[in-house]
Amino acid sequence: MNALENQFAQTIAEHKSTIYTVCYMFSQDADEVNDLFQEVLVNLWKGFESFEHRSDIRTWIYRVALNTCISLDRKKRRSSTVRLTMDINLFEDRDEDTRQVDMLHKRISKLQPFDRAIVLLWLENLSYEEIGQIVGITAKNVSVRLFRIREQLKNMSND
Amino acid sequence: MMNEFENHETQFENMRDQLNTLKKKLDKQEIVNDRVIRHSMKQTASNITRRYYIIMAVALLMIPYSYAVFVMSLGLSLAFWIATSLFMLVCAGATYYNNLNVVNSNMMSSNLVEIGKKMARAKKFDANWLFFGIPAVIAWLAWLTWEIYQQDAEAGRYMVYGIGCGAILGAICGFKMHFKTQHQYQEIIDQIEDLTAEE
Repeated sequence: MNALENQFAQTIAEHKSTIYTVCYMFSQDADEVNDLFQEVLVNLWKGFESFEHRSDIRTWIYRVALNTCISLDRKKRRSSTVRLTMDINLFEDRDEDTRQVDMLHKRISKLQPFDRAIVLLWLENLSYEEIGQIVGITAKNVSVRLFRIREQLKNMSND
Repeated sequence: MMNEFENHETQFENMRDQLNTLKKKLDKQEIVNDRVIRHSMKQTASNITRRYYIIMAVALLMIPYSYAVFVMSLGLSLAFWIATSLFMLVCAGATYYNNLNVVNSNMMSSNLVEIGKKMARAKKFDANWLFFGIPAVIAWLAWLTWEIYQQDAEAGRYMVYGIGCGAILGAICGFKMHFKTQHQYQEIIDQIEDLTAEE
Protein backbone atom coordinates (compact mmCIF):
# COMPACT_ATOMS: atom_id res chain seq x y z
CA MET A 1 0.00 0.00 0.00
CA ASN A 2 1.51 3.35 -0.95
CA ALA A 3 1.44 6.51 1.18
CA LEU A 4 -1.70 7.88 -0.46
CA GLU A 5 -3.58 4.61 0.03
CA ASN A 6 -2.46 4.49 3.63
CA GLN A 7 -3.64 8.03 4.18
CA PHE A 8 -6.98 7.23 2.55
CA ALA A 9 -7.48 4.09 4.62
CA GLN A 10 -6.74 6.07 7.77
CA THR A 11 -9.14 8.85 6.78
CA ILE A 12 -11.90 6.33 6.06
CA ALA A 13 -11.30 4.58 9.37
CA GLU A 14 -11.59 7.91 11.20
CA HIS A 15 -14.74 9.03 9.40
CA LYS A 16 -16.49 5.71 8.78
CA SER A 17 -19.28 6.52 11.25
CA THR A 18 -20.01 9.83 9.55
CA ILE A 19 -20.08 8.23 6.10
CA TYR A 20 -22.25 5.35 7.25
CA THR A 21 -24.65 7.69 9.06
CA VAL A 22 -25.22 9.68 5.87
CA CYS A 23 -25.75 6.47 3.85
CA TYR A 24 -28.14 5.12 6.48
CA MET A 25 -30.27 8.28 6.45
CA PHE A 26 -30.65 7.98 2.68
CA SER A 27 -31.48 4.27 2.61
CA GLN A 28 -34.54 2.16 3.07
CA ASP A 29 -32.91 -1.21 3.72
CA ALA A 30 -29.61 -2.84 4.66
CA ASP A 31 -28.63 -3.62 1.05
CA GLU A 32 -29.14 -0.04 0.05
CA VAL A 33 -26.91 1.22 2.90
CA ASN A 34 -24.17 -1.16 1.82
CA ASP A 35 -24.45 -0.13 -1.82
CA LEU A 36 -24.36 3.54 -0.92
CA PHE A 37 -21.47 3.09 1.49
CA GLN A 38 -19.51 1.33 -1.23
CA GLU A 39 -20.36 4.04 -3.77
CA VAL A 40 -19.39 6.86 -1.40
CA LEU A 41 -16.04 5.21 -0.68
CA VAL A 42 -15.36 4.86 -4.40
CA ASN A 43 -16.18 8.53 -4.97
CA LEU A 44 -14.07 9.61 -2.01
CA TRP A 45 -11.14 7.62 -3.37
CA LYS A 46 -11.58 9.15 -6.83
CA GLY A 47 -11.37 12.64 -5.39
CA PHE A 48 -8.90 11.96 -2.59
CA GLU A 49 -5.75 12.64 -4.59
CA SER A 50 -7.03 15.94 -5.90
CA PHE A 51 -8.42 17.08 -2.54
CA GLU A 52 -6.28 20.09 -1.72
CA HIS A 53 -7.13 20.51 1.96
CA ARG A 54 -8.50 24.00 1.30
CA SER A 55 -11.56 22.95 3.27
CA ASP A 56 -11.79 20.74 6.32
CA ILE A 57 -11.59 17.02 5.46
CA ARG A 58 -14.85 16.40 7.34
CA THR A 59 -16.61 19.05 5.23
CA TRP A 60 -15.29 17.43 2.05
CA ILE A 61 -16.37 13.97 3.19
CA TYR A 62 -19.87 15.23 3.98
CA ARG A 63 -20.06 16.93 0.60
CA VAL A 64 -19.03 13.82 -1.34
CA ALA A 65 -21.21 11.51 0.76
CA LEU A 66 -24.30 13.72 0.53
CA ASN A 67 -23.83 14.40 -3.18
CA THR A 68 -23.48 10.68 -3.82
CA CYS A 69 -26.52 9.79 -1.74
CA ILE A 70 -28.72 12.52 -3.20
CA SER A 71 -27.72 12.19 -6.81
CA LEU A 72 -27.23 8.47 -7.29
CA ASP A 73 -29.93 6.95 -9.42
CA ARG A 74 -31.73 4.42 -7.28
CA LYS A 75 -31.99 1.97 -10.16
CA LYS A 76 -28.27 2.08 -10.67
CA ARG A 77 -27.40 1.55 -7.03
CA ARG A 78 -27.39 -2.24 -7.05
CA SER A 79 -23.90 -3.48 -7.49
CA SER A 80 -23.12 -7.14 -8.10
CA THR A 81 -20.89 -7.45 -5.06
CA VAL A 82 -20.52 -5.51 -1.86
CA ARG A 83 -16.87 -5.27 -1.01
CA LEU A 84 -16.82 -2.87 1.89
CA THR A 85 -19.44 -2.30 4.49
CA MET A 86 -20.01 -2.45 8.24
CA ASP A 87 -21.03 -5.49 10.23
CA ILE A 88 -24.23 -3.95 11.49
CA ASN A 89 -27.87 -4.09 10.45
CA LEU A 90 -29.71 -1.06 11.75
CA PHE A 91 -32.86 -2.17 9.96
CA GLU A 92 -33.12 -5.49 11.76
CA ASP A 93 -31.36 -5.16 15.12
CA ARG A 94 -33.84 -4.90 17.96
CA ASP A 95 -31.92 -3.45 20.91
CA GLU A 96 -32.94 -0.20 22.63
CA ASP A 97 -30.21 1.89 20.96
CA THR A 98 -31.27 0.71 17.52
CA ARG A 99 -34.90 1.48 18.37
CA GLN A 100 -33.87 5.06 19.17
CA VAL A 101 -31.84 5.28 15.97
CA ASP A 102 -34.79 3.89 14.03
CA MET A 103 -37.05 6.65 15.39
CA LEU A 104 -34.60 9.22 14.08
CA HIS A 105 -34.36 7.44 10.73
CA LYS A 106 -38.14 7.32 10.33
CA ARG A 107 -38.46 11.01 11.09
CA ILE A 108 -35.64 12.14 8.79
CA SER A 109 -36.76 9.80 5.98
CA LYS A 110 -40.00 11.74 5.67
CA LEU A 111 -38.08 14.82 4.53
CA GLN A 112 -36.98 15.60 0.98
CA PRO A 113 -33.38 14.42 0.25
CA PHE A 114 -31.95 17.96 0.25
CA ASP A 115 -33.69 18.83 3.53
CA ARG A 116 -32.56 15.51 4.92
CA ALA A 117 -28.95 16.54 4.21
CA ILE A 118 -29.41 19.91 5.91
CA VAL A 119 -31.07 18.57 9.04
CA LEU A 120 -28.47 15.84 9.34
CA LEU A 121 -25.67 18.39 9.29
CA TRP A 122 -27.59 20.60 11.71
CA LEU A 123 -27.99 17.68 14.10
CA GLU A 124 -24.23 17.17 13.83
CA ASN A 125 -23.89 20.69 15.27
CA LEU A 126 -22.30 22.17 12.17
CA SER A 127 -22.57 25.92 11.76
CA TYR A 128 -24.85 27.44 9.10
CA GLU A 129 -21.73 28.50 7.19
CA GLU A 130 -20.38 24.95 7.20
CA ILE A 131 -23.75 23.49 6.20
CA GLY A 132 -23.95 26.05 3.39
CA GLN A 133 -20.47 25.13 2.16
CA ILE A 134 -21.34 21.47 2.07
CA VAL A 135 -24.71 21.67 0.35
CA GLY A 136 -23.80 24.65 -1.83
CA ILE A 137 -26.17 27.37 -0.56
CA THR A 138 -25.65 30.49 1.53
CA ALA A 139 -25.77 30.49 5.31
CA LYS A 140 -28.84 32.70 5.13
CA ASN A 141 -30.53 30.16 2.91
CA VAL A 142 -29.59 27.41 5.32
CA SER A 143 -31.23 29.33 8.13
CA VAL A 144 -34.46 29.80 6.12
CA ARG A 145 -34.59 26.19 5.03
CA LEU A 146 -33.83 24.97 8.53
CA PHE A 147 -36.68 27.02 9.89
CA ARG A 148 -39.05 25.29 7.43
CA ILE A 149 -37.58 21.87 8.13
CA ARG A 150 -37.98 22.36 11.86
CA GLU A 151 -41.59 23.35 11.29
CA GLN A 152 -42.08 20.18 9.28
CA LEU A 153 -40.52 18.11 12.04
CA LYS A 154 -42.72 19.77 14.63
CA ASN A 155 -45.80 18.97 12.56
CA MET A 156 -44.66 15.37 12.28
CA SER A 157 -44.53 15.07 16.04
CA ASN A 158 -47.97 16.68 16.32
CA ASP A 159 -49.44 14.16 13.85
CA MET B 1 -46.95 28.40 24.05
CA MET B 2 -43.69 28.35 26.01
CA ASN B 3 -44.27 24.71 26.90
CA GLU B 4 -44.80 23.84 23.25
CA PHE B 5 -41.54 25.59 22.34
CA GLU B 6 -39.69 23.69 25.08
CA ASN B 7 -41.25 20.43 23.94
CA HIS B 8 -40.01 20.95 20.41
CA GLU B 9 -36.55 21.94 21.59
CA THR B 10 -36.46 18.76 23.69
CA GLN B 11 -37.55 16.85 20.64
CA PHE B 12 -34.62 18.23 18.61
CA GLU B 13 -32.26 17.49 21.48
CA ASN B 14 -33.61 13.94 21.47
CA MET B 15 -32.84 13.73 17.78
CA ARG B 16 -29.28 14.84 18.50
CA ASP B 17 -28.99 12.20 21.21
CA GLN B 18 -30.31 9.58 18.82
CA LEU B 19 -27.73 10.62 16.24
CA ASN B 20 -24.98 10.38 18.86
CA THR B 21 -26.22 6.93 19.81
CA LEU B 22 -25.94 5.93 16.16
CA LYS B 23 -22.42 7.36 15.90
CA LYS B 24 -21.30 5.56 19.05
CA LYS B 25 -22.73 2.31 17.71
CA LEU B 26 -20.93 2.77 14.42
CA ASP B 27 -17.65 3.76 16.05
CA LYS B 28 -17.48 0.26 17.55
CA GLN B 29 -17.74 -1.34 14.12
CA GLU B 30 -14.99 -2.34 11.74
CA ILE B 31 -15.25 -2.05 8.01
CA VAL B 32 -16.36 -5.55 7.22
CA ASN B 33 -14.31 -6.49 4.22
CA ASP B 34 -11.14 -6.18 6.23
CA ARG B 35 -12.60 -8.21 9.08
CA VAL B 36 -13.98 -10.97 6.85
CA ILE B 37 -10.76 -11.32 4.90
CA ARG B 38 -8.70 -11.36 8.07
CA HIS B 39 -10.97 -14.05 9.47
CA SER B 40 -10.59 -16.11 6.31
CA MET B 41 -6.79 -15.67 6.43
CA LYS B 42 -6.85 -16.77 10.06
CA GLN B 43 -8.70 -19.95 9.09
CA THR B 44 -6.21 -20.72 6.31
CA ALA B 45 -3.26 -20.01 8.59
CA SER B 46 -4.64 -22.30 11.30
CA ASN B 47 -4.94 -25.09 8.69
CA ILE B 48 -1.27 -24.66 7.87
CA THR B 49 -0.35 -24.58 11.57
CA ARG B 50 -2.37 -27.72 12.28
CA ARG B 51 -0.54 -29.52 9.46
CA TYR B 52 2.80 -28.33 10.83
CA TYR B 53 1.99 -29.61 14.32
CA ILE B 54 1.13 -33.03 12.83
CA ILE B 55 4.47 -33.06 10.92
CA MET B 56 6.36 -32.14 14.11
CA ALA B 57 4.56 -34.82 16.16
CA VAL B 58 5.17 -37.51 13.54
CA ALA B 59 8.84 -36.54 13.16
CA LEU B 60 9.43 -36.71 16.91
CA LEU B 61 7.50 -39.96 17.33
CA MET B 62 9.57 -41.47 14.52
CA ILE B 63 12.68 -41.34 16.77
CA PRO B 64 11.61 -44.01 19.31
CA TYR B 65 9.52 -45.84 16.70
CA SER B 66 12.46 -46.14 14.28
CA TYR B 67 14.65 -47.45 17.12
CA ALA B 68 12.10 -50.17 17.84
CA VAL B 69 11.69 -51.13 14.17
CA PHE B 70 15.14 -50.55 12.64
CA VAL B 71 17.44 -51.43 15.52
CA MET B 72 15.50 -53.84 17.74
CA SER B 73 13.34 -55.57 15.17
CA LEU B 74 15.37 -55.49 11.92
CA GLY B 75 18.80 -55.27 13.55
CA LEU B 76 19.98 -52.31 11.46
CA SER B 77 22.98 -50.27 12.59
CA LEU B 78 22.83 -47.76 15.38
CA ALA B 79 24.48 -45.21 13.06
CA PHE B 80 21.52 -45.49 10.71
CA TRP B 81 19.09 -44.91 13.56
CA ILE B 82 21.10 -41.90 14.75
CA ALA B 83 21.08 -40.47 11.22
CA THR B 84 17.33 -41.11 10.99
CA SER B 85 16.80 -39.42 14.36
CA LEU B 86 18.91 -36.42 13.34
CA PHE B 87 16.96 -36.11 10.12
CA MET B 88 13.67 -36.21 12.05
CA LEU B 89 14.95 -33.61 14.51
CA VAL B 90 15.97 -31.31 11.66
CA CYS B 91 12.52 -31.84 10.08
CA ALA B 92 10.74 -31.01 13.33
CA GLY B 93 13.04 -28.04 14.01
CA ALA B 94 12.61 -26.56 10.53
CA THR B 95 8.85 -27.03 10.71
CA TYR B 96 8.78 -25.39 14.13
CA TYR B 97 10.88 -22.48 12.86
CA ASN B 98 8.66 -21.91 9.83
CA ASN B 99 5.54 -22.27 11.93
CA LEU B 100 6.68 -19.25 13.96
CA ASN B 101 6.04 -17.05 10.91
CA VAL B 102 2.43 -18.20 10.88
CA VAL B 103 1.82 -18.31 14.64
CA ASN B 104 3.38 -14.87 15.23
CA SER B 105 1.17 -13.26 12.60
CA ASN B 106 -1.89 -12.05 14.43
CA MET B 107 -4.24 -12.17 11.47
CA MET B 108 -6.99 -10.16 13.17
CA SER B 109 -4.95 -7.19 14.29
CA SER B 110 -1.47 -7.09 12.79
CA ASN B 111 -0.47 -4.85 9.94
CA LEU B 112 -1.43 -6.58 6.68
CA VAL B 113 1.80 -5.67 4.92
CA GLU B 114 3.79 -7.29 7.74
CA ILE B 115 1.62 -10.41 7.61
CA GLY B 116 2.11 -10.54 3.84
CA LYS B 117 5.89 -10.40 4.26
CA LYS B 118 5.83 -13.18 6.87
CA MET B 119 3.64 -15.35 4.68
CA ALA B 120 5.93 -14.82 1.67
CA ARG B 121 8.94 -15.71 3.85
CA ALA B 122 7.22 -18.86 5.15
CA LYS B 123 6.18 -19.88 1.64
CA LYS B 124 9.74 -19.47 0.36
CA PHE B 125 11.17 -21.41 3.30
CA ASP B 126 8.64 -24.17 2.72
CA ALA B 127 9.55 -24.33 -0.99
CA ASN B 128 13.30 -24.24 -0.32
CA TRP B 129 12.92 -27.07 2.16
CA LEU B 130 12.46 -29.44 -0.77
CA PHE B 131 16.04 -28.74 -1.94
CA PHE B 132 17.23 -30.27 1.30
CA GLY B 133 14.37 -32.67 1.96
CA ILE B 134 14.32 -34.56 -1.36
CA PRO B 135 18.06 -35.35 -1.51
CA ALA B 136 18.01 -36.23 2.20
CA VAL B 137 15.12 -38.66 1.74
CA ILE B 138 16.78 -40.24 -1.31
CA ALA B 139 20.04 -40.67 0.62
CA TRP B 140 18.14 -42.09 3.60
CA LEU B 141 16.29 -44.59 1.39
CA ALA B 142 19.55 -45.65 -0.26
CA TRP B 143 21.15 -46.18 3.14
CA LEU B 144 18.11 -48.11 4.37
CA THR B 145 18.22 -50.37 1.29
CA TRP B 146 21.92 -50.96 1.72
CA GLU B 147 21.47 -51.76 5.43
CA ILE B 148 18.71 -54.26 4.65
CA TYR B 149 20.79 -55.97 1.96
CA GLN B 150 23.61 -56.25 4.45
CA GLN B 151 21.33 -58.17 6.78
CA ASP B 152 19.88 -60.64 4.29
CA ALA B 153 20.22 -60.15 0.54
CA GLU B 154 17.42 -62.59 -0.38
CA ALA B 155 14.81 -61.34 2.08
CA GLY B 156 16.08 -57.80 1.56
CA ARG B 157 14.98 -57.87 -2.09
CA TYR B 158 11.33 -58.31 -1.11
CA MET B 159 11.64 -55.71 1.59
CA VAL B 160 13.03 -53.23 -0.91
CA TYR B 161 9.89 -53.68 -3.04
CA GLY B 162 7.87 -52.74 0.01
CA ILE B 163 10.13 -49.79 0.75
CA GLY B 164 9.83 -48.67 -2.90
CA CYS B 165 6.02 -48.77 -2.77
CA GLY B 166 6.06 -46.95 0.58
CA ALA B 167 8.43 -44.33 -0.80
CA ILE B 168 6.19 -43.70 -3.83
CA LEU B 169 3.09 -43.42 -1.64
CA GLY B 170 4.98 -41.21 0.82
CA ALA B 171 6.24 -38.99 -1.99
CA ILE B 172 2.70 -38.58 -3.39
CA CYS B 173 1.32 -37.68 0.05
CA GLY B 174 4.30 -35.42 0.80
CA PHE B 175 4.05 -33.51 -2.47
CA LYS B 176 0.29 -33.20 -2.10
CA MET B 177 0.74 -31.74 1.38
CA HIS B 178 3.54 -29.48 0.18
CA PHE B 179 1.55 -28.06 -2.74
CA LYS B 180 -1.51 -27.62 -0.56
CA THR B 181 0.54 -25.61 1.93
CA GLN B 182 2.10 -23.55 -0.86
CA HIS B 183 -1.35 -22.90 -2.30
CA GLN B 184 -2.66 -21.80 1.10
CA TYR B 185 0.25 -19.41 1.62
CA GLN B 186 -0.43 -17.95 -1.82
CA GLU B 187 -4.12 -17.65 -0.95
CA ILE B 188 -3.29 -15.52 2.12
CA ILE B 189 -0.81 -13.40 0.13
CA ASP B 190 -3.40 -12.86 -2.64
CA GLN B 191 -6.06 -11.90 -0.11
CA ILE B 192 -3.72 -9.34 1.43
CA GLU B 193 -2.84 -7.95 -1.99
CA ASP B 194 -6.52 -7.78 -2.87
CA LEU B 195 -7.34 -6.00 0.36
CA THR B 196 -4.53 -3.50 0.04
CA ALA B 197 -5.02 -2.97 -3.70
CA GLU B 198 -6.58 0.24 -4.91
CA GLU B 199 -10.16 0.27 -6.14
